Amino acid sequence: MKNSQQLESTMSCAEFQEQLPELFASGNGGVPSDPNLQAHLDTCENCSALVRDLQYIADQARMLLEPAQDEPSDDVWSNIQNKLKSEQAEGGFPSSPPLPS
Amino acid sequence: MTVTMSSESSPVNLQTPPATPPATEPRAAQGLFKRNPPIAGEAEAIEAAKAGDPEAFSKLYALHKRRVYTLCLRMLGNVSEAEDMTQEAFLHLFRKIGSFRGESAFSTWLHRLTVNLVLMQLRKKGLQLVSLEETINPSEDDAPKRDFGSRDPHLTGSVDRVTLERAVASLPPGYRMVFVLHDVEGYEHNEIATMLECSTGNSKSQLHKARLKLRELLRESGQSLQPAVLKEAVR
Ligand SMILES: [Zn+2]
Repeated sequence: MKNSQQLESTMSCAEFQEQLPELFASGNGGVPSDPNLQAHLDTCENCSALVRDLQYIADQARMLLEPAQDEPSDDVWSNIQNKLKSEQAEGGFPSSPPLPS
Repeated sequence: MTVTMSSESSPVNLQTPPATPPATEPRAAQGLFKRNPPIAGEAEAIEAAKAGDPEAFSKLYALHKRRVYTLCLRMLGNVSEAEDMTQEAFLHLFRKIGSFRGESAFSTWLHRLTVNLVLMQLRKKGLQLVSLEETINPSEDDAPKRDFGSRDPHLTGSVDRVTLERAVASLPPGYRMVFVLHDVEGYEHNEIATMLECSTGNSKSQLHKARLKLRELLRESGQSLQPAVLKEAVR
């Protein structure tokens, strides 16, 4: 039984956009596996522009992983050194919150 | 007379690589790009640091201070707090380096430690990272109400690093947190849900709202930008 004759009109932009958080999270680059979503994406310029922009933003975000030229001031390192020295002088490091394994 | 438009391809062509390739790291599978390749000399420095060698601490600090500081700065949005947390993160690192077993990349371990410390700090300050209510009752304001017509410029190709960094900095803290953790640092939704003590649905929804907000911000800032094509031509 096929029910595809009305695919283009079955979904509103609002309905389509409601699915977007899941669509992007599915890790398929915003390409829907659901034919209803795909049909809307194929025919709706607004939603396809939206998906394209959001995917672009997600892609561009990776540029930010590599750190900028900003770095902490030299005080940070001297504070760390001083604290480590005084802790070592007191005989070992104090207990601290658990770390991720 | 008919003018053929060839510049716009199919709107579903979403998997083409971005116009600007990532500056450094090769594009790995999604979610893997945070797992950084080992740095030369790092393994030796870790072993020496475990034995208490101060030189090794210094080396590890030099290797990782920028990444840690940048992460703190993005999450906290404030230089002095970011420096404080950088200090805390490295102190924790040096106290606990004996328990690093090398099961994950050192930088992954260090970043997770840093994120946890920052989140603890934010909770102490009483910042609610993820607004549950908003997700349960999504307000219409979050939806892109305005119908963007085809005459509007697409973002693609127009956003440089500085512009994006500025836009991310102006996100509300809860949005910024999820965006930085997922899209920049590469954490999965289930990891973020654990860290932020929210549901994965919540994490997905916050991320989506963050990207929508960024799109809005980038469109606003893009009004004064030349289209990327023109910039290319002028160069
Ligand atoms: Zn639509």
